[in-house]
Amino acid sequence: MMLTIKDLQASVEDKTILKGLNLTVNAGEVHAIMGPNGAGKSTLGYVLSGREGYEVEQGKVDFDGHDLLDMEVDERAQAGLFLAFQYPVEIPGVSNMEFMKESVNTVRKARGEEPYTAAEFLKIAKAASQQVNLPLDFLKRGVNEGFSGGEKKRNEIMQMILLEPKLCILDESDSGLDIDALKVVADGVNSQRDGKRSFIVVTHYQRLLDFIEPDFVHILADGKIVKSGGPELAKEVEASGYAWLDNGDATATQGATA
Amino acid sequence: MSDQLDQAIARKYDAGFVSDIESDTFPIGLDESVIERISAMKNEPEWMLEWRLQAFRSWLKMKEPDWAHLGYDPIDYQSISYYSAPKSMKDKPKSLDEVDPELLRTYEKLGIPLHEQEMLAGVAVDAVFDSVSVVTTFREKLEEAGVIFCPISEAIQKYPELVKKYIGSVVPKTDNFFAALNCAVFTDGSFVYIPKGVRCPMELSTYFRINELNTGQFERTLIVADEGSYVSYLEGCTAPQRDENQLHAAVVELVALDDAEIKYSTVQNWYPGDENGKGGIYNFVTKRGVCEKNAKISWTQVETGSAITWKYPSCILRGDNSVGEFYSVALTRGRQQADTGTKMIHLGKNTKSTIISKGISAGNSSNAYRGLVKMGPGADGARNFTECDSLLIGDKCAAHTFPYIESSNPSAIVEHEATTSKVSDDQLFLCQQRGLDEEKAISMIVNGFCKEVFKELPMEFAVEAGKLLEISLEGSVG
Amino acid sequence: MSEWLASVVDRAERVDDWLSPARQQALQRLLEQRWPTRRTEAWRYTSLHTLEKLQLPLASAAENSTSEIPVIDGLQSLDFVFENGQFVGVAEAGHKPQPLEQARLPNGLSVHALLDSANTELSAFNKAKPSHHLFGLVNDVLAQQGLVIHIKAGATVAQPIRVVNRLSADVESHHRVLVVVGEGAKATVIEHGFGSCASVSTAFAEFTLAANSQLEHYRFALHGGEAQFFGGSHFNLGEHARLNSTVVGYGSQISRLDIDLNHVGEHAYAKMNAVYLLAPKEHFDLHTSIEHMVPNGTTEENARGIVGDKARAVFNGRIHIHRDAQKTLAELNNRNLLLSRGGHIATKPELEIYADDVQCAHGATVAEIAEKELYYLQTRGIPRSQALVMLNFGFIQELVNQMPNKAISEWLAPQLRERFTAMEQK
Repeated sequence: MMLTIKDLQASVEDKTILKGLNLTVNAGEVHAIMGPNGAGKSTLGYVLSGREGYEVEQGKVDFDGHDLLDMEVDERAQAGLFLAFQYPVEIPGVSNMEFMKESVNTVRKARGEEPYTAAEFLKIAKAASQQVNLPLDFLKRGVNEGFSGGEKKRNEIMQMILLEPKLCILDESDSGLDIDALKVVADGVNSQRDGKRSFIVVTHYQRLLDFIEPDFVHILADGKIVKSGGPELAKEVEASGYAWLDNGDATATQGATA
Repeated sequence: MSDQLDQAIARKYDAGFVSDIESDTFPIGLDESVIERISAMKNEPEWMLEWRLQAFRSWLKMKEPDWAHLGYDPIDYQSISYYSAPKSMKDKPKSLDEVDPELLRTYEKLGIPLHEQEMLAGVAVDAVFDSVSVVTTFREKLEEAGVIFCPISEAIQKYPELVKKYIGSVVPKTDNFFAALNCAVFTDGSFVYIPKGVRCPMELSTYFRINELNTGQFERTLIVADEGSYVSYLEGCTAPQRDENQLHAAVVELVALDDAEIKYSTVQNWYPGDENGKGGIYNFVTKRGVCEKNAKISWTQVETGSAITWKYPSCILRGDNSVGEFYSVALTRGRQQADTGTKMIHLGKNTKSTIISKGISAGNSSNAYRGLVKMGPGADGARNFTECDSLLIGDKCAAHTFPYIESSNPSAIVEHEATTSKVSDDQLFLCQQRGLDEEKAISMIVNGFCKEVFKELPMEFAVEAGKLLEISLEGSVG
Repeated sequence: MSEWLASVVDRAERVDDWLSPARQQALQRLLEQRWPTRRTEAWRYTSLHTLEKLQLPLASAAENSTSEIPVIDGLQSLDFVFENGQFVGVAEAGHKPQPLEQARLPNGLSVHALLDSANTELSAFNKAKPSHHLFGLVNDVLAQQGLVIHIKAGATVAQPIRVVNRLSADVESHHRVLVVVGEGAKATVIEHGFGSCASVSTAFAEFTLAANSQLEHYRFALHGGEAQFFGGSHFNLGEHARLNSTVVGYGSQISRLDIDLNHVGEHAYAKMNAVYLLAPKEHFDLHTSIEHMVPNGTTEENARGIVGDKARAVFNGRIHIHRDAQKTLAELNNRNLLLSRGGHIATKPELEIYADDVQCAHGATVAEIAEKELYYLQTRGIPRSQALVMLNFGFIQELVNQMPNKAISEWLAPQLRERFTAMEQK
């Protein structure tokens, strides 16, 4: 098992956002998490990555045999957890290239691999930037500095390719993208599907799932997974929206623990 | 708009009347004999007189500070009378019934009825008239809770140990020129002691009134909040409209022992002088508090009066985890000049301070924020956040910001930001288009600008402060 | 008055040249000045006690060494070389300096030695430099070495002009530079001072930018050790003039730099970045003053510093909007990082505003942590301590990246990184 989340309850500024979330992800699986705004979708990524200010009140998370919640942010990343941000932060002055080399070599070291030399890294970085269609010039700029929304997303996918994580969490990687940029992002993700790597694709719309086909789809509402199913569930959401969640229809929660 | 603006500046000062009260007033001038007389009038113990004389001797050697962004004619300290008290106060009235009705009427006119049944519920008042305390209300009720709230002249006699221990412990007698002068000649003021673990059952308040011509007012306030206690204190001040400048040099000392909290609010409305800068109070005030472990001191001030304001309510955050706050609205108009701000001295670990300052300049006035944030070597993990905003109304006024930041601790964090804006034509147009006249629109915009500070005032006074601002702004637009 | 200042006055009385009328005025002002103490606002955080009683011989040509002045790779600047404030000659690409008369100057550029500039009007001096700078006045009365540089109206001088001064002897020296940028002209000027011997030096430069002119300017005060350095760069910006200036300071026993930027013509634009990196016991004091005297000017100033070990940084950034300067946009930002317990940072941004229809803001921070950025780096596997180091240097690198001249930023960046790394390891 890659990831097992049991009864996860977490709060931000004393407000409980996740209210007992359960999820199991096996190696090689792609899980889509969908849900209305404010359901706690982004919070899940932040909690799993260990962001400060996100307090875990209850629950357990096992990641590839580690007690995830007991680890520092960078230790989780070194263990193979990757979060692609919805709004990647700009870090002027820290060059993208320097940053990624540092990051990739730290993670490699943690995996017991030899760090890349500058020349080796340049080669693979070039390849990765081509793969996500990001001009080489972007490697020299500050991290995300002055990048457009689409360029930032592609930069995230490039980092994912370079870091070779075990589990990728994509937080609304489709938001704000036109169809061409969306395809670049999806192609980047699909190229990394190798039967072992797992993905959690967090999205509001079904659109991204046309390009990254999930094995499972979960609906997250009010801090819990209220429904789980196969790819057809996403289509259902596409057709009827999330309004049915508001009905307080208890039957809707059936099957949530699938 | 600015020409009309000039003409329109004829500010209403509601508190500008003179009370017809017979007073015993010292002749003008200052030497050791004057200090001896003040001390004798107050029946003070020997140590107090000695303390005053030491301060006076130091003061003689000190220089009046000139670093503030203020311009005024030199003050002649020999042309001021250092003591004035209503004759009727000579034999201390035992109860309100014995107090001169004219005095009571004065406070009533100012909106401060001293009869307990008419007062704002939950507010105890010490009324200081020129150099003496006239009356302190609700004393019995406070005594039940163990709270001491009385004129400082009385405290020196009744609680000498407490006074001796704390007076001058926060603001040393030679701290600065004006503080030293105050130590030498202070006449009255309030003393507050909140015992351990007591939450003061009501708001405490002192109302200062200068009435007599050519007198200075030198009051002194000392508030001691013992461990784990809480008190909210408010001071207000007014003076008659006179052509001469009058000096007000007060000292306020706050002591917040471990886990105590003091909230100190000021609505300062001394006579600001006329539109040509004639008359008005020179307000040179030293206010400072010390916070011990986990203690908190919060200063809130609304400064609309005085010809000159020189005032920097400060916090010495000595105890670990202590908190200092300063919320200020300073409004200047006509020829008013203000140089005001705060000092946050972080000494203890994890100390925190917040400074929110809103300066509004109109007319030909000048309004400066001056502040110091100091992170000492021991202030591990300390934090400060400062926000200073200036609003200019008209093109003849001035707004300044002088923040000093010093840090000697690598784990301390200081953030300061300041902006300047004006009431924009777009804002005015929007308000007017929705049916508000210009004056109302400006007052609304200014009130909005000050909101962050007003919300820190005790509720009864927040309303009053808003009104005061409105009156102060009246006629400030053409 | 200190003993040192008394000796300045004494020396000044013996200087006699075509600048004497101006020197006399300055001397009068100097005599009215009080020797700064902690109570002197402009010297609140910088003590002059090490200078007070110091007596050093005045520099003479004899102290000059023959060692080469380091070139800035790829810059291909025209170097006006000084050593200990004494003019040595003009050099290109690291070649041996030639006398001024033999130098081949680009079109539109004319340069004269200070004492051979009698054809320049006296009034061209002290236009941009205010008379309240104590050491500016010292320089006024004593500097006999220096250059007067003219960029002809309409000319574009593409080759960067570097005025470089090496301090290599324990002497006292004074030199000054006047740069007149003609209408519509364009130029790049680099003031580059370095050296760490136990010297006292003053180096002041004035720049007059005529209408529509453009100046790219760098001031490198890269001193160290026992040097006591006092300098200034002062600018008058004419109508529609554009200035892009970068200041880099290292600090030394005392290093004090005063920058004055005066908007005298409307619609001028000034961008100024300053960087200081201080360790181990260095003191650096940067005072900047922006005067908006006319409407419609724009100024953006960013100053950032890192202080390690027992170093002390002082920053004072004033913005003064005069009564008539409506529609001014002025912003100043000062950010500092303190890395060590023994270090000290004092900063004071100041706004003095006399016009209402303006947009002015300033900010100052010490050691704020960019939590979001830290988190981002950590999610990529970089440990917190290392992420902090990256962010801290990035904070300086960001301003280095903004330098318009790539050769200069590429020359400077490794030096700054080396300094920073040394500080981090302490």
